[in-house]
Amino acid sequence: MKWTAVSLVVLLGLLTACTTNVVVEGSVPTPLVARIPANVGIYYEEGFKTFMHSEVLKEEGTWNIPLGEKNLSFFRNLMTALFDSVVEVESPELTDVQKANLDGVIIPKIEKYGFLTPNISGLKFYSASIHYRITLMDSDNHKVAEYVVVGYGKSEGGTFSSGQALGDATMLAIRDGGTRIAVGLGEHPAIVSWLAQREGEPK
Amino acid sequence: MKNGCLIVLVVTLLTSCVTARIEESRTASTGLNNDEALVILGRASYNDRQTEESFTDCLADALSTGSEPIRLIPQAQFKDQLYPWFEPRTAPASSDDLARLFAQPGVQDRIEASKIRYLAWINGDTVTTDRGGSFSCTLSTFGGGCLGVTYWEENASYEASIWDLQNLTTAGEISADASGTSYLAGLILPIPIMARPGNAACKALAGQLREFLQTDEG
Repeated sequence: MKWTAVSLVVLLGLLTACTTNVVVEGSVPTPLVARIPANVGIYYEEGFKTFMHSEVLKEEGTWNIPLGEKNLSFFRNLMTALFDSVVEVESPELTDVQKANLDGVIIPKIEKYGFLTPNISGLKFYSASIHYRITLMDSDNHKVAEYVVVGYGKSEGGTFSSGQALGDATMLAIRDGGTRIAVGLGEHPAIVSWLAQREGEPK
Repeated sequence: MKNGCLIVLVVTLLTSCVTARIEESRTASTGLNNDEALVILGRASYNDRQTEESFTDCLADALSTGSEPIRLIPQAQFKDQLYPWFEPRTAPASSDDLARLFAQPGVQDRIEASKIRYLAWINGDTVTTDRGGSFSCTLSTFGGGCLGVTYWEENASYEASIWDLQNLTTAGEISADASGTSYLAGLILPIPIMARPGNAACKALAGQLREFLQTDEG
C-alpha cells in the first residue's frame, strides 16, 4: 500500500515536472534577391549566437528552446546573399584597416522570443514569434538605420510531438524574419538614402 | 485465405460512408510533357486555418504514382530554391502577380532549369461540423471496458488553382468536397468506424487534377 502511494506520487511528479527540450532544425535557403551594393561587416553579439529561451508554463512544464545556432547559420547565409561582400567583425567599432574596406557594420539582435501552445491559444497550432532588430552603423560608428521585424511561424502538432511542432514553428519564424529582411532591408528609406549618399561620395 | 477475407470484412465494416463531389472549371488548354514538372503548394496563412501538409502530401503521393505518374518537385525543395518568394508573406496571390515575380533576379531561370510547367495551389481544410453521443471507458482492479456511442461529422473542402508558368495564366480550378460521419462504439472493447473525408477529397482531387493536366483540351 505504502509503495503504491509512493509510486503514484513519483508518477505524478514526473508528469507535472516534465521538461521539453526543443530542437530547432530545418533548411537554410539562400535568398534570390538583388544584392545591396555595399561592403559590410557584421557583428554577431554572443547573446545572438547562443540565444536560448526558457519558460515554465503552469500546466506544461519547462520549455527550453535553443534557437541561437540555427538562427546564426540562417543569418550568415542570408547576409552573405544580401550584400556585395560581408565579413564578420569582432567589434562594432571598426579598425582603421576595416574602415578602409567596409562601408558599414550590421548588428542583428533578437529582442524577444515568444511562443504559444494549443493549450494557451485554443488553436490547434504551436506558434512562435521572434522580434529582430537590425542596426546599420556607418564605418565611423554612427547609426544609419534601425529595422525592426517580427518573424512568425506556426506548426500543427500532437500531444506526443509538441517539441517537434514548436521546433518547426520556431524554424518557420526564423525563415519568416529572414523573408522580411531579404525583401525589406534594401528598401528601408534610411538605407536607400545612405546608399544614395555613398554613391555621391568621391571614391 | 480465410484470414484475408476476415481482414477485408473487418475493414469494410469499420469504414464509414463518405460522399464526395468534384467540380472543374477550365480557362485554358493544358498538356504536360514527360520532362515537365508540377509543384503542389498548400496555401499558408497566418490565421488559424490553413491547408494541412498531410493533404498536400497525399496529393503528391497519388499523382507521382500509378500508370501515368506526373513528375513532381517537392514543396519544400521548391520553396527553398525560390526563397523568399513563395513564403506565406510573399507568395503571389494570383497568376496576375507572376509577371512581377518573374522579374525578380534568378526566379525565371530557376523555374526553367527545373522545367516546372504548372503550380497547383491547394486551398482548404477539413473541419468537424457536428459531434454528439456519449462514450466512456473504465478501468478498475476487477477489469475494465467501454460503453456508449459517439459520433463526429467532418467536412473536407479543398480547391486547386492551377497556374501555367509557361503562359503566366490560370489554367483552371478544381474543387473537391467530401463529408462523412465517424463513429466510436463501446461494447466492452472500443470499436471505431471511421469515415475519412480528407482522404476521399484527396483521391478525388488527384484523379481530376491528373486528367486536367494530361488531357489537352482547349
